[in-house]
Amino acid sequence: MAYKEDIEGTHQNTEKPLAVMQARNLTFSYDGVTNVIEHLDLDVWEGKITVLLGANGCGKSTLFKLMTKNLFPDDGETLLYGNDADDMGLKEFARNVAIVHQNNTAPPDLTVETLVGYGRTPYLNAFQTAGGKEDEEAIRWAMDVTNVTKYRKRQVSQLSGGQRQRAWIAMALAMKTSILYLDEPTSFLDVRYQIEILKLVRSLNRDYGITIIMVLHDINQAMEYADILVGMKGGRIIAEGNPREIVTPELLETLYGIRLPMIETGGRKFVLTV
Amino acid sequence: MAEKKKPTAISFLVLIVVLAVTIYVAINTGSISISMKQLLDGLFVAYDPDVATVYDLRFPRIIIALLGGAALSVSGVLFQACMKNPIADPGVIGVSSGASFIAVLIAGIFPNLYFLTPLLAFAGGILACGLVYLLAFRNGLNPLRVILVGVAVNAVFTGLTQAFNSMTGGNLSGVASIANANISQKTWDDVYIITGYVVLGLVLALMAFYKCDLLSLSDQTARGLGVNVTMTRILVSLIAVILASISTAEMGVVSFIGLIVPHIARILVGSQHKVLIPFSMLGGAFLMLLADTLGRTIAAPYEISASILLSIVGGPMLIILIRRSDKTYGV
Repeated sequence: MAYKEDIEGTHQNTEKPLAVMQARNLTFSYDGVTNVIEHLDLDVWEGKITVLLGANGCGKSTLFKLMTKNLFPDDGETLLYGNDADDMGLKEFARNVAIVHQNNTAPPDLTVETLVGYGRTPYLNAFQTAGGKEDEEAIRWAMDVTNVTKYRKRQVSQLSGGQRQRAWIAMALAMKTSILYLDEPTSFLDVRYQIEILKLVRSLNRDYGITIIMVLHDINQAMEYADILVGMKGGRIIAEGNPREIVTPELLETLYGIRLPMIETGGRKFVLTV
Repeated sequence: MAEKKKPTAISFLVLIVVLAVTIYVAINTGSISISMKQLLDGLFVAYDPDVATVYDLRFPRIIIALLGGAALSVSGVLFQACMKNPIADPGVIGVSSGASFIAVLIAGIFPNLYFLTPLLAFAGGILACGLVYLLAFRNGLNPLRVILVGVAVNAVFTGLTQAFNSMTGGNLSGVASIANANISQKTWDDVYIITGYVVLGLVLALMAFYKCDLLSLSDQTARGLGVNVTMTRILVSLIAVILASISTAEMGVVSFIGLIVPHIARILVGSQHKVLIPFSMLGGAFLMLLADTLGRTIAAPYEISASILLSIVGGPMLIILIRRSDKTYGV
C-alpha cells in the first residue's frame, strides 16, 4: 500500500532489516498422522527476495498456504508485522499479502482486464465491484508493470504461458500489497519466459520495494535472483542465508539426494544440473 | 469490449422479442383465441367474456411458467458457480425433489397450510442440498461425484414423493399436480403465493453476480483475494435453493432447464455473471413457457407436461455437457 514512500526508508538506512512475516513453530499435517511441516521457523525480511528451494513434496507449497491463511496450522503461528495472522480478517490480510499459486484456473472467456480487476476485491464492500478512481489506477499500474496492457481485452485462456503468468501476477499486484508470494512462477515456461518473469520479479522488488518470497526449482536461477535462500527438506528448514555462501554440493545432496558438480566462472558459482 | 458488447446486446434483444411472441402465442393457444386489440380492450377498457376466461385460466399458468423457468435457470447458474460444475442443475442433484417431497406432504396432510408451502419446501430443498454437499465433499467437490450423489438423493426423494402420491390414491389434486409436475390447474392464488419469493430470489441472485464470478476462480485464489469462500458458497447456494424450492413447490420437479439455459447463455453472452444471470432469467422464462405451450398443442386435447418435454431435450444435453466438462473449466 504505502510502499512507494517506504522505498527510500527501507533501502537507505538498512541497519537492521525488519521481519515482516514470521512463521513460528509451525506444524501441520493433512491426515493427522504424518507432519508435512514440523516445528518450522522462518523469517521473511522486508524489501528482500527470499527463495525457497527443495525437492518435490518437501512442504514448500504447504508452507506458503499456511503463511497465507489458506491452511491453518495444527500448532504454531504466522505473524504479520508481529501480529498473529489468525486474528486478522481475510480481507485485511489480503490488503497486506498477495499470493500467486501454481496451476491457476479461470473461466475460458475471462479477459485480462477483468482478471486484474479482481485484485481490487479486498478493498470492496459486500456488493461493490471495482470501479473507483483508486481501483482504476491500481489496475492500470499493475497491467503496465507486468506489460500486459496491450492484451487487456484478450482472454486469459488464449495467452501464451508467459503472458498468462504475467496476467496472474498483475492481479496480485492490483491488490497493492507490500508482500508477494509466488509459488513456482516459472514452472511450465520455456527459458525465455522464465527469465522474463524473474526479471519482472526483481524489478518489483528493486523498483517498487515489494517483499518477495517465492519457490523456484532452478538452482542457478535461485542463486542469481535470491537475496536470501532457504533450503527445505521434510517439512523443516535446513539452510538459510546468502545463496553464494550456503549453496554447496553437500547442501544440494542433502536437499535433493543427488550429487551435482559446481563450477566457478567470472566470480560466480554455477551448479551443473546434468 | 466494443466488438464483444454488440452480440450480447443483440442476443438480449432477440431473446426479448422471442419471449414476447411466445407469451402472445401462449395466450392464444387453446379453444379460445383473441386478437391483441381484443385482449388489451378486454383487460383495460371493457369487460369481454372471452378475455376474462383467458385471464382466469391461461394467465396464471403463463405467469407461473415464466417465473418458474426463470427461477430454475438462475438456480442452475448459481449451483454451477458454487460447485464449479457446469452440469449442476437443481433437478438433477435432487434439490427440487427434496422440495417437492415436502410440498406434497403439505398438500396431502395439511392442505390448509398451503400458503406456507414455499417456506417448508425451502426447508426440504436445504435438506437435499446439504446432503449433496456433505456426501460429495472429499478434498473439494468433484463435479462427477456431485452428480452421482445428486442422482441418489434425487432418487430417494422422488421415490418418497411418488410413494406418497400412490398412498393417497394418486388422485388428490394438489399432491398429484406437484408429483406429476402439472401446471394446468393453476389459479391467480398460486401466482400470488410464489411471486414475492421468486422476485426476492431473483433480485438476490442479481446482487450476488460478483460473488459468483469470484467463486469461478480456484478456492485458494479467491481466498487470497480476501473472500470467505465457504461462507460465500453457502450464501449463494441458499439463494439457489430458494429459487429451486419455491418454483418446485408450485410446478413440481422440472429437471434440466437449469442445465440447458445457462449452457446456451454462456455460449451467447459469456460466463460473466453480471450478464449471464439476467440472460438466463429471460432464457429460462422463455424455454419453460415454450415447453408448456408446445405440450399443450402437440397432442391436443391431451397435454404433455413441460417437465417431460424438457427431459427429452435435457437428457442428451447432460451427456454432451459431461463429455465436454473437462474443457469447460480450467485454463
